[in-house]
Amino acid sequence: MTKNKEKIPPVVKLNYSKGDLIIKAGDYGKSIYEIISGKVGIFVESGGAETRVAILGPGMIVGEMAFISGNTGTRSASARALEDCWLEVWHPAILLNDYKKMPDVLRLIAGQALKIIVRMNKMVVELSLKQGKHKDRQTQKLSDQWADKRKLYRKMVSLKCVFRPANSPEELKIRGIIRDVSMGGLRITVDRLGFRNYIPIPGDELFVSTYFESNQKVNMTGKVVWLKKGGTDGTISLGMAFTQMDPDDRKSLGFFLMT
Amino acid sequence: MTVNSQVLMYIVSEESFSDKAVIIKEGSIGDWVYVILEGRVKIKKQTSGGLLTVDTLSEGDFVGEMAMLKQGNSTRTASAVADGPVVLGLLDSVRLAQEWEAQPTRIKKVISNLIQNLEEVTKKAADMIIASK
Repeated sequence: MTKNKEKIPPVVKLNYSKGDLIIKAGDYGKSIYEIISGKVGIFVESGGAETRVAILGPGMIVGEMAFISGNTGTRSASARALEDCWLEVWHPAILLNDYKKMPDVLRLIAGQALKIIVRMNKMVVELSLKQGKHKDRQTQKLSDQWADKRKLYRKMVSLKCVFRPANSPEELKIRGIIRDVSMGGLRITVDRLGFRNYIPIPGDELFVSTYFESNQKVNMTGKVVWLKKGGTDGTISLGMAFTQMDPDDRKSLGFFLMT
Repeated sequence: MTVNSQVLMYIVSEESFSDKAVIIKEGSIGDWVYVILEGRVKIKKQTSGGLLTVDTLSEGDFVGEMAMLKQGNSTRTASAVADGPVVLGLLDSVRLAQEWEAQPTRIKKVISNLIQNLEEVTKKAADMIIASK
Protein backbone atom coordinates (compact mmCIF):
# COMPACT_ATOMS: atom_id res chain seq x y z
CA MET A 1 0.00 0.00 0.00
CA THR A 2 2.63 2.49 1.00
CA LYS A 3 4.57 1.68 -2.14
CA ASN A 4 1.52 2.51 -4.19
CA LYS A 5 1.08 5.81 -2.44
CA GLU A 6 4.62 6.89 -3.14
CA LYS A 7 4.02 6.51 -6.85
CA ILE A 8 1.14 8.95 -6.89
CA PRO A 9 2.46 12.30 -8.06
CA PRO A 10 1.53 15.38 -6.09
CA VAL A 11 -1.09 17.82 -7.16
CA VAL A 12 0.55 20.30 -9.52
CA LYS A 13 -0.32 23.93 -10.22
CA LEU A 14 -0.06 25.12 -13.81
CA ASN A 15 -0.30 28.54 -15.36
CA TYR A 16 -2.02 28.99 -18.73
CA SER A 17 -2.14 32.06 -20.94
CA LYS A 18 -5.23 33.28 -22.72
CA GLY A 19 -5.88 31.00 -25.68
CA ASP A 20 -3.86 28.00 -24.48
CA LEU A 21 -5.39 24.62 -25.04
CA ILE A 22 -5.64 22.69 -21.76
CA ILE A 23 -7.33 19.54 -23.01
CA LYS A 24 -7.73 18.47 -26.61
CA ALA A 25 -10.69 16.35 -27.69
CA GLY A 26 -9.44 12.99 -28.93
CA ASP A 27 -6.42 12.85 -26.62
CA TYR A 28 -5.98 10.11 -24.07
CA GLY A 29 -5.92 11.51 -20.58
CA LYS A 30 -7.72 11.35 -17.27
CA SER A 31 -6.18 14.18 -15.29
CA ILE A 32 -8.70 16.43 -13.62
CA TYR A 33 -8.15 20.18 -13.30
CA GLU A 34 -9.57 22.56 -10.74
CA ILE A 35 -9.73 26.18 -11.83
CA ILE A 36 -7.98 28.37 -9.24
CA SER A 37 -8.32 31.61 -11.18
CA GLY A 38 -9.44 32.66 -14.66
CA LYS A 39 -12.02 31.34 -17.08
CA VAL A 40 -11.96 28.17 -19.18
CA GLY A 41 -14.14 27.40 -22.21
CA ILE A 42 -15.31 23.90 -23.10
CA PHE A 43 -15.56 23.17 -26.83
CA VAL A 44 -17.05 20.22 -28.64
CA GLU A 45 -15.86 19.40 -32.14
CA SER A 46 -18.21 18.14 -34.80
CA GLY A 47 -17.86 18.02 -38.56
CA GLY A 48 -14.63 20.01 -38.52
CA ALA A 49 -16.07 22.87 -36.50
CA GLU A 50 -15.97 23.73 -32.81
CA THR A 51 -18.85 24.82 -30.63
CA ARG A 52 -18.48 26.25 -27.15
CA VAL A 53 -20.74 24.36 -24.77
CA ALA A 54 -19.71 25.91 -21.44
CA ILE A 55 -17.66 28.58 -19.69
CA LEU A 56 -16.19 27.54 -16.35
CA GLY A 57 -14.72 29.73 -13.61
CA PRO A 58 -12.78 29.49 -10.32
CA GLY A 59 -13.68 26.54 -8.12
CA MET A 60 -14.97 24.53 -11.05
CA ILE A 61 -13.60 21.28 -12.40
CA VAL A 62 -12.39 20.57 -15.92
CA GLY A 63 -11.83 17.13 -17.41
CA GLU A 64 -13.98 15.08 -15.05
CA MET A 65 -15.96 13.44 -17.86
CA ALA A 66 -13.18 11.12 -19.01
CA PHE A 67 -12.59 10.16 -15.39
CA ILE A 68 -16.21 9.38 -14.59
CA SER A 69 -16.82 7.51 -17.84
CA GLY A 70 -14.28 5.05 -16.45
CA ASN A 71 -13.54 3.68 -19.89
CA THR A 72 -10.33 4.06 -21.77
CA GLY A 73 -11.77 6.32 -24.40
CA THR A 74 -10.57 9.71 -25.45
CA ARG A 75 -11.40 13.22 -24.25
CA SER A 76 -14.86 14.11 -25.53
CA ALA A 77 -14.36 17.87 -25.51
CA SER A 78 -11.54 20.42 -25.62
CA ALA A 79 -10.84 22.92 -22.86
CA ARG A 80 -9.18 26.25 -23.54
CA ALA A 81 -8.08 29.16 -21.35
CA LEU A 82 -10.34 32.12 -22.17
CA GLU A 83 -8.10 34.38 -20.07
CA ASP A 84 -4.85 33.89 -18.17
CA CYS A 85 -5.51 31.28 -15.53
CA TRP A 86 -4.09 29.02 -12.87
CA LEU A 87 -5.21 25.44 -12.68
CA GLU A 88 -4.53 22.73 -10.15
CA VAL A 89 -4.00 19.36 -11.84
CA TRP A 90 -5.09 16.22 -10.04
CA HIS A 91 -3.63 13.01 -11.30
CA PRO A 92 -6.56 10.55 -11.60
CA ALA A 93 -4.84 8.08 -9.28
CA ILE A 94 -5.54 10.30 -6.27
CA LEU A 95 -9.27 10.05 -6.98
CA LEU A 96 -9.64 6.58 -8.40
CA ASN A 97 -9.49 4.69 -5.10
CA ASP A 98 -12.08 6.97 -3.54
CA TYR A 99 -14.30 6.70 -6.58
CA LYS A 100 -14.17 2.90 -6.51
CA LYS A 101 -15.16 2.87 -2.84
CA MET A 102 -18.20 5.04 -3.44
CA PRO A 103 -21.64 3.37 -3.01
CA ASP A 104 -22.95 1.96 -6.31
CA VAL A 105 -25.97 4.26 -6.26
CA LEU A 106 -23.85 7.42 -6.27
CA ARG A 107 -21.68 6.06 -9.04
CA LEU A 108 -24.74 5.16 -11.11
CA ILE A 109 -26.18 8.64 -10.60
CA ALA A 110 -22.91 10.21 -11.75
CA GLY A 111 -22.92 7.85 -14.74
CA GLN A 112 -26.42 8.92 -15.72
CA ALA A 113 -25.50 12.61 -15.44
CA LEU A 114 -22.55 11.98 -17.73
CA LYS A 115 -24.69 10.14 -20.27
CA ILE A 116 -27.20 13.00 -20.40
CA ILE A 117 -24.46 15.65 -20.67
CA VAL A 118 -23.03 13.85 -23.68
CA ARG A 119 -26.50 13.73 -25.24
CA MET A 120 -27.17 17.42 -24.52
CA ASN A 121 -23.76 18.48 -25.81
CA LYS A 122 -24.52 16.69 -29.04
CA MET A 123 -27.85 18.44 -29.31
CA VAL A 124 -26.27 21.85 -28.66
CA VAL A 125 -23.61 21.19 -31.30
CA GLU A 126 -26.12 20.07 -33.91
CA LEU A 127 -28.33 23.08 -33.29
CA SER A 128 -25.48 25.55 -33.37
CA LEU A 129 -24.12 24.08 -36.60
CA LYS A 130 -27.54 24.66 -38.14
CA GLN A 131 -27.76 28.18 -36.79
CA GLY A 132 -24.43 29.80 -37.57
CA LYS A 133 -21.82 28.13 -39.70
CA HIS A 134 -19.57 31.12 -40.39
CA LYS A 135 -18.93 31.76 -36.70
CA ASP A 136 -17.74 28.22 -36.10
CA ARG A 137 -15.30 28.35 -38.96
CA GLN A 138 -13.60 31.29 -37.30
CA THR A 139 -13.26 29.36 -34.06
CA GLN A 140 -11.73 26.47 -35.93
CA LYS A 141 -8.99 28.65 -37.40
CA LEU A 142 -8.07 30.02 -34.00
CA SER A 143 -7.86 26.56 -32.53
CA ASP A 144 -5.22 25.57 -35.06
CA GLN A 145 -3.00 28.41 -33.90
CA TRP A 146 -3.46 27.45 -30.31
CA ALA A 147 -2.98 23.74 -30.63
CA ASP A 148 0.76 23.81 -29.95
CA LYS A 149 0.55 25.72 -26.70
CA ARG A 150 -0.97 22.86 -24.82
CA LYS A 151 0.62 21.99 -21.51
CA LEU A 152 0.48 18.25 -21.22
CA TYR A 153 0.91 16.01 -18.26
CA ARG A 154 4.62 15.17 -18.24
CA LYS A 155 5.78 11.96 -16.65
CA MET A 156 9.29 11.64 -15.22
CA VAL A 157 10.82 8.36 -16.29
CA SER A 158 14.11 6.60 -16.92
CA LEU A 159 13.54 4.50 -20.02
CA LYS A 160 16.19 3.12 -22.33
CA CYS A 161 15.55 3.98 -25.95
CA VAL A 162 17.19 3.84 -29.37
CA PHE A 163 16.78 6.52 -31.97
CA ARG A 164 18.04 7.64 -35.37
CA PRO A 165 17.33 10.45 -37.82
CA ALA A 166 13.97 9.59 -39.44
CA ASN A 167 15.48 9.55 -42.93
CA SER A 168 18.59 7.48 -42.13
CA PRO A 169 19.04 3.71 -42.61
CA GLU A 170 17.87 1.47 -39.79
CA GLU A 171 21.37 0.28 -38.91
CA LEU A 172 22.19 3.61 -37.34
CA LYS A 173 21.26 3.30 -33.67
CA ILE A 174 21.91 5.89 -31.00
CA ARG A 175 21.23 4.86 -27.42
CA GLY A 176 19.72 7.24 -24.95
CA ILE A 177 17.54 7.47 -21.90
CA ILE A 178 14.10 9.06 -21.98
CA ARG A 179 13.88 11.34 -18.92
CA ASP A 180 10.37 12.63 -19.30
CA VAL A 181 7.51 12.14 -21.72
CA SER A 182 4.08 13.64 -22.41
CA MET A 183 1.52 13.31 -25.21
CA GLY A 184 3.34 16.18 -26.92
CA GLY A 185 6.95 15.11 -26.78
CA LEU A 186 9.86 13.82 -24.75
CA ARG A 187 13.31 14.60 -23.39
CA ILE A 188 16.24 12.26 -23.98
CA THR A 189 19.72 12.30 -22.51
CA VAL A 190 22.61 10.81 -24.44
CA ASP A 191 26.11 10.29 -23.07
CA ARG A 192 28.96 12.00 -24.85
CA LEU A 193 29.90 8.94 -26.90
CA GLY A 194 26.35 8.56 -28.17
CA PHE A 195 26.74 11.16 -30.87
CA ARG A 196 29.91 9.80 -32.46
CA ASN A 197 28.34 9.40 -35.91
CA TYR A 198 25.62 11.97 -35.95
CA ILE A 199 24.95 15.22 -34.17
CA PRO A 200 21.35 16.40 -34.34
CA ILE A 201 20.37 20.03 -34.78
CA PRO A 202 16.98 21.60 -33.94
CA GLY A 203 14.52 20.81 -36.71
CA ASP A 204 15.91 17.31 -37.39
CA GLU A 205 13.30 14.62 -37.39
CA LEU A 206 14.11 11.61 -35.18
CA PHE A 207 12.62 8.15 -35.01
CA VAL A 208 12.60 6.84 -31.42
CA SER A 209 11.82 3.32 -30.18
CA THR A 210 11.35 2.25 -26.59
CA TYR A 211 9.47 -0.24 -24.43
CA PHE A 212 6.82 1.02 -21.99
CA GLU A 213 6.13 -2.43 -20.62
CA SER A 214 8.56 -5.31 -20.94
CA ASN A 215 7.04 -6.50 -24.22
CA GLN A 216 5.36 -3.42 -25.59
CA LYS A 217 7.45 -1.66 -28.20
CA VAL A 218 6.47 1.89 -29.06
CA ASN A 219 7.72 4.01 -31.97
CA MET A 220 7.57 7.77 -32.02
CA THR A 221 8.62 10.32 -34.61
CA GLY A 222 9.31 13.91 -33.67
CA LYS A 223 11.31 17.05 -34.36
CA VAL A 224 14.23 18.15 -32.23
CA VAL A 225 13.24 21.40 -30.52
CA TRP A 226 16.32 22.09 -28.41
CA LEU A 227 19.71 20.62 -27.47
CA LYS A 228 21.64 21.25 -24.28
CA LYS A 229 25.00 20.16 -22.95
CA GLY A 230 24.65 19.17 -19.33
CA GLY A 231 27.13 18.80 -16.47
CA THR A 232 30.81 17.91 -16.53
CA ASP A 233 30.30 14.39 -17.87
CA GLY A 234 29.41 15.71 -21.32
CA THR A 235 25.88 14.36 -21.34
CA ILE A 236 23.65 15.94 -23.95
CA SER A 237 19.92 16.52 -23.45
CA LEU A 238 17.53 16.96 -26.29
CA GLY A 239 13.88 17.94 -26.36
CA MET A 240 11.65 16.58 -29.06
CA ALA A 241 8.06 17.40 -30.13
CA PHE A 242 6.12 14.53 -31.69
CA THR A 243 5.18 14.94 -35.33
CA GLN A 244 3.89 11.48 -36.15
CA MET A 245 2.72 8.46 -34.21
CA ASP A 246 0.81 5.32 -35.08
CA PRO A 247 -2.67 5.32 -33.38
CA ASP A 248 -1.80 2.18 -31.41
CA ASP A 249 1.45 3.70 -30.18
CA ARG A 250 -0.39 6.87 -29.27
CA LYS A 251 -2.85 4.83 -27.27
CA SER A 252 -0.02 2.98 -25.50
CA LEU A 253 1.55 6.31 -24.61
CA GLY A 254 -1.79 7.57 -23.31
CA PHE A 255 -2.14 4.58 -21.00
CA PHE A 256 1.47 4.79 -19.93
CA LEU A 257 0.96 8.41 -18.85
CA MET A 258 -2.11 7.49 -16.83
CA THR A 259 -0.47 4.81 -14.74
CA MET B 1 -32.57 -1.24 -18.88
CA THR B 2 -33.38 -2.99 -15.64
CA VAL B 3 -33.05 -1.47 -12.20
CA ASN B 4 -29.72 -2.17 -10.52
CA SER B 5 -30.11 -4.52 -7.52
CA GLN B 6 -28.07 -2.18 -5.31
CA VAL B 7 -30.47 0.64 -6.13
CA LEU B 8 -33.50 -1.52 -5.25
CA MET B 9 -32.18 -1.76 -1.70
CA TYR B 10 -32.54 2.00 -1.25
CA ILE B 11 -36.23 2.07 -2.15
CA VAL B 12 -38.42 3.06 0.80
CA SER B 13 -41.75 3.30 -1.06
CA GLU B 14 -43.28 2.90 -4.50
CA GLU B 15 -45.39 5.62 -6.08
CA SER B 16 -47.60 5.38 -9.16
CA PHE B 17 -48.37 8.28 -11.47
CA SER B 18 -50.84 8.44 -14.33
CA ASP B 19 -50.06 9.85 -17.77
CA LYS B 20 -49.07 13.56 -17.73
CA ALA B 21 -48.97 13.72 -13.92
CA VAL B 22 -46.35 16.16 -12.64
CA ILE B 23 -43.81 14.24 -10.52
CA ILE B 24 -41.45 17.13 -9.85
CA LYS B 25 -42.10 20.80 -10.56
CA GLU B 26 -39.31 23.07 -11.78
CA GLY B 27 -38.50 25.80 -9.25
CA SER B 28 -39.89 23.92 -6.25
CA ILE B 29 -37.67 22.88 -3.34
CA GLY B 30 -36.80 19.26 -2.62
CA ASP B 31 -33.93 16.87 -2.88
CA TRP B 32 -35.49 13.40 -2.83
CA VAL B 33 -34.55 11.05 -5.65
CA TYR B 34 -36.64 8.49 -7.55
CA VAL B 35 -35.66 5.57 -9.71
CA ILE B 36 -37.99 4.61 -12.56
CA LEU B 37 -39.32 1.08 -11.99
CA GLU B 38 -41.81 1.04 -14.86
CA GLY B 39 -42.66 3.45 -17.65
CA ARG B 40 -41.13 6.66 -18.94
CA VAL B 41 -40.66 10.17 -17.60
CA LYS B 42 -40.27 13.36 -19.62
CA ILE B 43 -37.90 16.06 -18.40
CA LYS B 44 -39.28 19.48 -19.24
CA LYS B 45 -37.87 22.97 -18.88
CA GLN B 46 -39.60 26.31 -18.77
CA THR B 47 -38.41 28.52 -21.64
CA SER B 48 -39.43 31.82 -23.22
CA GLY B 49 -41.38 29.73 -25.71
CA GLY B 50 -43.23 27.66 -23.10
CA LEU B 51 -42.64 24.27 -21.52
CA LEU B 52 -40.20 22.20 -23.56
CA THR B 53 -39.28 18.52 -23.34
CA VAL B 54 -35.48 18.20 -23.24
CA ASP B 55 -35.11 14.53 -22.43
CA THR B 56 -37.04 11.30 -21.85
CA LEU B 57 -35.91 8.86 -19.15
CA SER B 58 -36.85 5.21 -18.81
CA GLU B 59 -36.63 2.21 -16.48
CA GLY B 60 -33.55 2.22 -14.27
CA ASP B 61 -32.92 5.95 -14.72
CA PHE B 62 -32.88 8.35 -11.78
CA VAL B 63 -35.20 11.34 -11.49
CA GLY B 64 -34.45 14.28 -9.20
CA GLU B 65 -30.80 13.47 -8.52
CA MET B 66 -29.56 16.89 -9.58
CA ALA B 67 -31.01 18.79 -6.63
CA MET B 68 -29.47 16.27 -4.23
CA LEU B 69 -25.94 16.46 -5.62
CA LYS B 70 -25.79 20.18 -6.29
CA GLN B 71 -23.83 22.32 -3.92
CA GLY B 72 -25.75 24.80 -1.83
CA ASN B 73 -29.37 24.68 -2.95
CA SER B 74 -32.03 22.11 -3.64
CA THR B 75 -34.20 23.98 -6.13
CA ARG B 76 -35.52 21.71 -8.85
CA THR B 77 -33.97 22.73 -12.15
CA ALA B 78 -36.49 20.97 -14.39
CA SER B 79 -39.92 19.37 -14.22
CA ALA B 80 -40.50 15.63 -14.45
CA VAL B 81 -43.77 14.54 -16.04
CA ALA B 82 -45.17 11.03 -16.49
CA ASP B 83 -45.16 9.85 -20.11
CA GLY B 84 -47.87 7.22 -19.81
CA PRO B 85 -48.45 5.35 -16.52
CA VAL B 86 -45.30 5.31 -14.38
CA VAL B 87 -44.16 3.48 -11.24
CA LEU B 88 -41.32 5.12 -9.32
CA GLY B 89 -39.27 3.94 -6.37
CA LEU B 90 -38.53 6.66 -3.80
CA LEU B 91 -34.96 6.30 -2.53
CA ASP B 92 -34.00 6.59 1.12
CA SER B 93 -32.95 10.24 1.13
CA VAL B 94 -31.42 10.19 4.62
CA ARG B 95 -29.15 7.28 3.73
CA LEU B 96 -28.25 8.83 0.36
CA ALA B 97 -27.47 12.20 1.94
CA GLN B 98 -25.31 10.59 4.63
CA GLU B 99 -23.38 8.56 2.09
CA TRP B 100 -22.94 11.56 -0.14
CA GLU B 101 -21.72 13.77 2.71
CA ALA B 102 -19.21 11.08 3.73
CA GLN B 103 -17.45 11.22 0.35
CA PRO B 104 -14.00 12.87 0.15
CA THR B 105 -14.05 16.57 -0.78
CA ARG B 106 -12.46 16.09 -4.19
CA ILE B 107 -14.97 13.41 -5.22
CA LYS B 108 -17.85 15.63 -4.12
CA LYS B 109 -16.38 18.53 -6.05
CA VAL B 110 -16.02 16.49 -9.23
CA ILE B 111 -19.58 15.14 -9.12
CA SER B 112 -21.21 18.45 -8.08
CA ASN B 113 -19.41 20.04 -10.96
CA LEU B 114 -20.69 17.38 -13.34
CA ILE B 115 -24.23 18.09 -12.17
CA GLN B 116 -23.73 21.82 -12.59
CA ASN B 117 -22.51 21.25 -16.15
CA LEU B 118 -25.55 19.10 -16.81
CA GLU B 119 -27.79 21.89 -15.56
CA GLU B 120 -26.08 24.45 -17.78
CA VAL B 121 -25.99 22.39 -20.93
CA THR B 122 -29.65 21.43 -20.45
CA LYS B 123 -30.58 25.09 -20.18
CA LYS B 124 -28.51 25.91 -23.23
CA ALA B 125 -30.06 23.07 -25.23
CA ALA B 126 -33.56 24.23 -24.26
CA ASP B 127 -32.79 27.83 -25.31
CA MET B 128 -31.38 26.69 -28.62
CA ILE B 129 -34.31 24.44 -29.40
CA ILE B 130 -36.63 27.42 -28.84
CA ALA B 131 -34.43 29.69 -30.95
CA SER B 132 -34.44 27.21 -33.82
CA LYS B 133 -38.23 26.92 -33.90
